[in-house]
Amino acid sequence: MSERKIGVYTCGGCGIADALDMDQLEAAAKEQKAGFCKSHDCLCSDEGVALIAADVAAGEVTHPIVAACSPRVMEDKFRFDGVETIRANLREMVVWSHPANDEDTQMLGDDQVRMAIAQAKKSMPPEPWTEGAFSETVLVVGGGYVGLTAALEAAAAGHQAILVERSDALGGMSAKWSKVMPHLPPYRDPQENPVAGLIAKVEASDKITVMTDTIVTKTNGMPGKFEVELTRAGTPSAETVGAIVVATGWRPYDATKLGHLGYGASPDVVTNVELEGLLGDGPVARKSDGKAVKTVAFVQCAGSRDPAHLPYCSSVCCGTSIKHAIQMVDADPEVMAYIIFDELRTPGTAEEFYRSAQEKGVIFVKGKVEKVDGDLTVTYHDALLGDDIPMAGLDMVVLATGMVPNSTNVEAPALELEDEKLVPLKDDINPAAPIAVAGYKEGVDAPEAPARPEPSMPEGAPILNLQYRQGPHIPMLADGFADSHYICFPYETRRSGIYTCGPVRRPMDMGEAGQDAAGAVLKAIQAIRNVKQGKGLHPRSGDLSYPKIDLNACTKCRRCTVECPFGAIDEREDDYPQVNPSRCRRCGTCMGACPVRTISFDNYSVAMINDMAKAVEIPDEFDEKPRVLILACRNDAYPALDMAGIQRETYSAMVRVIPVRCLGSVSMLNASDALSTGYDGVILMGCKSGDDYQCHFVKGSGLATERMGKIEETLKSMMLEKERVQTMEVSIADSKKVGKLIDDFVATIDEIGLNPFKGF
Amino acid sequence: MTAPLPESNGKKYDLGFARWVYENVDGGDKLSMCMQCGACSGSCPIGTEMDHGPRKLFMMIRAGMKEDVLKSNTMFNCTSCYNCVVRCPRKVPVTYILQDLGRVAQRLGYAEAKETDNARFAKAFFWSTRKFGRTDERLFSAKYYLSFGVGEAIKMAKANMPVARSLMKAKRMHLGMPHKIKGVKELNAILDKAEEIEKREQGV
Repeated sequence: MSERKIGVYTCGGCGIADALDMDQLEAAAKEQKAGFCKSHDCLCSDEGVALIAADVAAGEVTHPIVAACSPRVMEDKFRFDGVETIRANLREMVVWSHPANDEDTQMLGDDQVRMAIAQAKKSMPPEPWTEGAFSETVLVVGGGYVGLTAALEAAAAGHQAILVERSDALGGMSAKWSKVMPHLPPYRDPQENPVAGLIAKVEASDKITVMTDTIVTKTNGMPGKFEVELTRAGTPSAETVGAIVVATGWRPYDATKLGHLGYGASPDVVTNVELEGLLGDGPVARKSDGKAVKTVAFVQCAGSRDPAHLPYCSSVCCGTSIKHAIQMVDADPEVMAYIIFDELRTPGTAEEFYRSAQEKGVIFVKGKVEKVDGDLTVTYHDALLGDDIPMAGLDMVVLATGMVPNSTNVEAPALELEDEKLVPLKDDINPAAPIAVAGYKEGVDAPEAPARPEPSMPEGAPILNLQYRQGPHIPMLADGFADSHYICFPYETRRSGIYTCGPVRRPMDMGEAGQDAAGAVLKAIQAIRNVKQGKGLHPRSGDLSYPKIDLNACTKCRRCTVECPFGAIDEREDDYPQVNPSRCRRCGTCMGACPVRTISFDNYSVAMINDMAKAVEIPDEFDEKPRVLILACRNDAYPALDMAGIQRETYSAMVRVIPVRCLGSVSMLNASDALSTGYDGVILMGCKSGDDYQCHFVKGSGLATERMGKIEETLKSMMLEKERVQTMEVSIADSKKVGKLIDDFVATIDEIGLNPFKGF
Repeated sequence: MTAPLPESNGKKYDLGFARWVYENVDGGDKLSMCMQCGACSGSCPIGTEMDHGPRKLFMMIRAGMKEDVLKSNTMFNCTSCYNCVVRCPRKVPVTYILQDLGRVAQRLGYAEAKETDNARFAKAFFWSTRKFGRTDERLFSAKYYLSFGVGEAIKMAKANMPVARSLMKAKRMHLGMPHKIKGVKELNAILDKAEEIEKREQGV
């Protein structure tokens, strides 16, 4: 770009012109040396957009500033090729949330224009990173039901797929099932196992390369350019793939640990997986004497939802026991099947399946099994009768054991890891922390969250053996499941371009797992196509900017390589950081981490935020008008403020809001510089951090809280009160609350007095 | 023919009892649909008079507590108002099940079944029906009171005098000879036949 030409377009629509003096806005723009300032009654109309488009086409403007509504709306209307549109939020954050024709409101509006101009002066249209060749192949790790489905989905979408399976045959656990839970209407009877059909389809596909007896021994590179080493019988081969889908599935919980439930005491106490091997067309025969089983009890939650074993619900065991009971009753109507459950969990259509079992006479008993004796007497505590009930005379007891994720390869020995490579496994999200029980109103005591076992290093070798600075494992969320957030970003691991699906992510049945496979493959394809164009992945999908590090200023402090939530930055041989652009999610956590401000994006930098803050006109101390800088997370806090405007919630007009990509991208220097230029306070507004975090970049808000915890010393050296800097957790639903938070903070500032640095 | 009730051999918990009830008690096939929500017990206007509400009784059936189920007074307290049947989300015919369970208990000679208030009341009612083809309030009440013994009967009769006076005032109760229907004989024949059929079905 030859010359920076900044033009301001003010919009008078949506009540802006009624509440603000438009001439004064123009004066503010001129004072900041904008090339020109044009006003229109409705900029988002065809006529208004044409006005800007004509200037852009004529080369009159390279940085059009649209001073109108929030940057969160009308984004595509104001997008013009080749130029970077900057938005000044006059509607939601000025006229809709503050009184009309008021001196303070006008000052706020003027400052919004000034800040936008300062942003335009520092911002460049980002140049995407598209160096070298990009692969479009999808690597699927795990050849079970989920992996097979994933490979077929990838092939159906036109991509080549490599399907890697550890054992010598495809099919995985699910190949053992005699029948499966129904996933098709009317959801009442067990269905045929689809795995054999899937294997045939995969083998017939010319887009899928199947490699059995193979494990992934090394993974290097980044999305679009993963260099994987696949080892088959000791012989490694190299492949380049665009994205990786991990479908390594699960293994049953070790039943030998369930001695209290009679496992091992009698051959007729079997697990649900073992029962699959006994189910055939006819009645089930006992293991001990071959007699046909006439009465059978299923013990639910065998090891699951038990802090001493698996603290979580394995989700499928209820459905599996229902399936087994139906199969046994169907084969021999004289069979009496008891299902002893603590809480029967039959989500969705599984409820129909449950009903079907009831109609077939399967007897459901609510109770917690206390012990199973060697003579097959099951003693359970019946909560509804309040009594311990011995159930004697059974022919077989089936333990419904749960799922353990294969987030590591337990068949291979664990690697010795340096301590720093364990960081993402055990630092910011504590897998042992109790997960809060949701859905309780404030002031109402929620039931105590279940206790969880202490975290330990996962046994076994890493699945992908990532050659990343942050270690070879895919980070785990809780209880060893590889995911980053079950609800908000399914499939997304904290390693870009690597997606988990199926029971390695969370316990699920085959119906869900099949959908999961399709979802993860779509994510993988999205990654492949985005990175090829230099575009960012979730959650800043499509962002062309990426972090650039000026190594001349770098002090090799390694903060960026340690703090990146996605392990995108490696260390070179000479200890300088090495950005892997397509691994980057563009949150800017590295930028906030860098003590020497040497990491920046084309259109986003510490200096830009500082300049925007400085562009605000700070009234001198005799005006008694404090100024508070709010650095608001774009994902949650900024929308909450917008929403407050939409709902006409009012709050103090003394605040100036700058949206940031994530609180993780806020440098301590942003806060201290603001205070030294005369701001009276700084608020960092972002998402909830901690174990039940809501940060879109996993640990950005947590890092910000930690960094700002250390700012106290800086403030002390400046002779300032620590109350002047605060981190606030604001979720997207907090629009009614956010105004009060701001007003309370401004009141605190009024109490402690204005910043003595004003005017320096 | 009804299958014989499983021998419980003095066991408190009988694995086969639930299945026997499912298969042999009127409406029992629907009992398997019970999900223990408690709408029946919550809807029951005289649930407080019962040892166990219907929900608990059904759970006891599943747990195989044969003795406790058949000794309970739940079945005899049911007034057949059908509130539970109307409200049951799983369409369990609670009333039928209770009535038939009551019959089972009585047939098997559970003492409680014969001595409950309701059993005495039902017997007195049945006596009056057989004798007059309808209820004669005075004689039928007297028969019911006397089943508790003479002293008790006098106390009960005295306590109910105001009710009796009101009924007479409203011409709902009369003094004089009991009214009889025309076809007492025929009605008795019908009832005999019904009893015969029931006995045949129960294989007694």
